[in-house]
Amino acid sequence: MSTAIAVEALTVGFGDFIAIRDLSFHADYGTVRGVIGPNGAGKTTLLDVLTGKSRPRRGRVLLDGTIDLAPLDEVARALAGIGRKFQKPSVFEALSVWDNLDLALRLHRRSLLREVFAPAAAKAAPIAALLETIGLTALRDQAAGTLSHGQKQWLEIGMVLVQEPKLLLLDEPVAGMSEEETAHTAALLHRLRAPGRSIVVVEHDMDFVEQVADAVSVLHEGRTLFEGSMAEARGNAQVIEVYIGR
Amino acid sequence: MKGEGSTWLAAGLLSLLLVLLPLLGFGLLPGLALPIYAVNLAGQVMCFALLAMAVDLMWGGAGVLSLGHGLFFAFGGYLCAMHLLRSAYAATHKLPDFLLFMGHGGFPSWWRLADSAPLTLLAVLVLPALLAFAFGYVSFRSRVNGVYFSIITQALTYTAMLLMFRNDTGFGGNNGMTGFHAIAGLPAGGLAAAVLLASLSTAAVLAALLGGRALLASRFGRLLRAIRDDEPRLRFLGYDTLWLKLAAWCASATLAAIAGMLYVPQVGIINPSLLDPTLSLEIAVWVAIGGRGGLTGAILGAVLVNVLKFWLSAAAPTLWPFVLALLVLLVVLALPNGLLDLRNRSRAWLLELAPASLPRRRPAR
Repeated sequence: MSTAIAVEALTVGFGDFIAIRDLSFHADYGTVRGVIGPNGAGKTTLLDVLTGKSRPRRGRVLLDGTIDLAPLDEVARALAGIGRKFQKPSVFEALSVWDNLDLALRLHRRSLLREVFAPAAAKAAPIAALLETIGLTALRDQAAGTLSHGQKQWLEIGMVLVQEPKLLLLDEPVAGMSEEETAHTAALLHRLRAPGRSIVVVEHDMDFVEQVADAVSVLHEGRTLFEGSMAEARGNAQVIEVYIGR
Repeated sequence: MKGEGSTWLAAGLLSLLLVLLPLLGFGLLPGLALPIYAVNLAGQVMCFALLAMAVDLMWGGAGVLSLGHGLFFAFGGYLCAMHLLRSAYAATHKLPDFLLFMGHGGFPSWWRLADSAPLTLLAVLVLPALLAFAFGYVSFRSRVNGVYFSIITQALTYTAMLLMFRNDTGFGGNNGMTGFHAIAGLPAGGLAAAVLLASLSTAAVLAALLGGRALLASRFGRLLRAIRDDEPRLRFLGYDTLWLKLAAWCASATLAAIAGMLYVPQVGIINPSLLDPTLSLEIAVWVAIGGRGGLTGAILGAVLVNVLKFWLSAAAPTLWPFVLALLVLLVVLALPNGLLDLRNRSRAWLLELAPASLPRRRPAR
C-alpha cells in the first residue's frame, strides 16, 4: 500500500489558539481511514489544511509522498485530485441534481474555457452511471434545494466522486441521517473503495466508523492520541478517558 | 430556468414596440400618432431597461450586486458624446463652449480618434470592459465579496464623479457636453433621429434579453448561479471562480456602456450627474422591484419605475420620492423576489383568504 497523503509535524493556529500541534498523519491508497475525536480535537481543521482552506504555521503536507501541497490553492488541489464533502451539505440548491453533477464532472481540468463549452452530451453517460451509484436517478431533474438532508449528502458525495479523486475526504457524512440512511451510506462507501483511491472519514458515529474504516486515528487537542483498528481504539484506556467514556 | 413564459411575453412586447415606434412616430397609421416626446421617452426608458439588465446579470445571475453601474453607463455616454461633438465641429466649425471657457483654441489632438463612428463603437464595447476588468480583477482576486464589493463599486463611481466635475479634466466639467448637431446624419432633436434612437434602444433590449437568457441557460449561466449559491463549494470542485465572475462582470459593464451610448444622444447632454451614486442605487431599486435573476424582471422594474417617475415628476413632483419609497417598502415586505413573483404569491394569498372557493390544483406527479 502506497501513501496517498502524508502530514508531517503539522501545526495550525488561529491567533492565540492552537488547533493542531505537531500532528503527523497519513492515509494509504486502497484504504478507508477513520478520524475520530471529541469536538475541538482538530478534525475539521485537518481537512481544511489538506484542501487548502487553512494554512499551517509549520509542517508539510505531501500528496503521493512527493508533491508538496503548500504552494497550491484550493482550486489547484481539487484539480490535483483532492475531493472534499463538507460537514454541512454543500450543493447548489437552485440547480437540478443533474446540473449539480454536470458542473462537478470535469472533462477539461486544464482549461476553464473548454470546460464551459464542453457539449452536455459528453457528460451524460458518466452522470447517469453515477446517479445509479448514489441512488438518485429518479430525482435527476429535481432542484437540489428540495432534496432531503440525506439525499443532499449523497448528492454531494456524488459530486466529489464524479471528479474521481485520489483522495476523498468526507466530513461527517452521516451526521443527521436516519439509521436506514446511515446503512445506505455505509454500503455506498464500500462501493467507493478503489486501489487508486484513499478515503478519509471524519465522523462521530463510531459504529459507522467501525463498519467502514480499516484503521482509525483518534485526535485529541490537536494531537494524534491513538492509531490502530477501531476495536483496539474502543479498548484503549486513553481513548476511553478523553472521548468514548464521556 | 425560471420564467420561460415571461421571457417570451417580454420578447413579444418588445418586438411589438419595435414595429410600432416607426409606425406611430411617423404617423403612418391613420389617426394614430405618437408625439416626439413620447417616442423619446420610450427610447430613454429602453436604455434604463438595458442598464437594469446589466445589473441583473451580475446580481441575479451571480449574486454580485453592483452599486456603481452608473460608471459604465456614463463611460459609454461620454464616448458617444465625444464622437457627436467632433462630428458637430466638422459640420459647423464651432468649438463647444466648454473648450472656449477653458481657453483652449481647439480639441486636444487625441480627440480625433472619436471622429470615426466605428472606432467610437469599438471604444464603447472595449474600454468600459477594460476598466471593469482591472477593477474586477483586483477586487475578486482579493476575495472582496458581498456588501463590501457593492460599497467599493459605489466609491469608484463617486470618485469618477468628482473627477469629471473638474473643469480642467477636459470633458466638460460640471456643465458636461452638449450641442450635438446630427446623429447618423439626421438632425439632432428631430423626429427621425428620435425614432431611430428609440428603435435602436428597443432592439438592443430585445437582443440583450434573448442573448442574456441563452447565456443564463448555458453551463456558464449555471456556473454563475453556483457562485451565487455557494462559491467556496465551486472552488473546491476545481473551478477558479475569479475568471467566471470577471467574464460576467465585463459583459455586464459592456451592456451598461451600450445603454449609455444610446441614452446620451436621446437626452442631448451628458454631465457628471450620471455618475451620482443615486442613479447607481436607483438601478438596483428597479431590479429589486421587478424581480432578480431572469432579466425580464429588470426590464419590468426599469420601465415601471421610470414611466411612473416621468409622469409623477410632471404631475406631482413633490410626491415622487414618497411613491418610490412606498413601492420599495411594498416589494420588500410583500414580494421579496420582486413583482414577477406576484403570480406565485397571489395564489397563496387567495388560498389563505378563501381556502375552499378556489379550484384545487392537482398534485404533481
